[in-house]
Amino acid sequence: MIILADVMFVVLILITILGALTTVLSGSLIYALMGLIATMFGIAGLYIYLNAPFIAMMQILIYVGAISILIAFAIMLAGPMFKRPKEWSRPIKFISGAITACVTFILFLNVIMRTEWTTIKAEPIKTTTKELGRALFDRFMLPFELISLLIVVSIIGAIMIALYSRKER
Amino acid sequence: MTTGYLFNNFNLYLFLSLFLLCCGILGIVYRRTLIAMLISVELIMNGAGLNFVAINRFLYPDKVNGQVFTLFIMGIAAAETAIALAIVILIFRRYKKIEADTLKEMKD
Repeated sequence: MIILADVMFVVLILITILGALTTVLSGSLIYALMGLIATMFGIAGLYIYLNAPFIAMMQILIYVGAISILIAFAIMLAGPMFKRPKEWSRPIKFISGAITACVTFILFLNVIMRTEWTTIKAEPIKTTTKELGRALFDRFMLPFELISLLIVVSIIGAIMIALYSRKER
Repeated sequence: MTTGYLFNNFNLYLFLSLFLLCCGILGIVYRRTLIAMLISVELIMNGAGLNFVAINRFLYPDKVNGQVFTLFIMGIAAAETAIALAIVILIFRRYKKIEADTLKEMKD
């Protein structure tokens, strides 16, 4: 018996895998960005299956809404892309990258297979935004503040880099 | 009875995040331009976030620690992307190139 939730799950996994392959193997930067956006949407759907709807919304807001747009602006600022050569570099690089990826895959596959995961079969409790916020401001207070400090520093750094480059010219 | 469904298979999520990690590594080695390498790093970050949430859901379903750490990963990814893209734009302004092979002034 085929359940609709399972079909949707398989579709999401296919979207993620095809998006990742497009990101890595396509010849153009814009296509790579489109593949990245597809991957992010697929993972946002998987977060909903993993009982984390707030994380799914944040994934769409931050990754798709902010980071992808940032990368798109950088691609547009970096000149006309159609005049450049294609993204594919030398085949020796592809071979070395594929060997590295395969070794990593086999290594972590062994780790996943040999670990005794004690999965809990019980139905999980509903994770609401209330509990997330309580955890953020109670146990994870210091990392949360450090992340905000990191983002402020990075914003100031990006602005300073842009300003100095303009002054030099 | 929720164990029979496909989306309750824990290993599928781990395999998917492992696949994303391998794609990111291949992309970092293989792509020519700096922006494409940055996109590959984003793939790896996505895989890490998926791994955190999957382990939180299946191994510790009564806690929210994994989801909180996924939020931290998103913040770090945003900061890293902002700085890296500023540097890439700076490199493009000075050298008119963003291919990683051609940037070897400090090497020579």
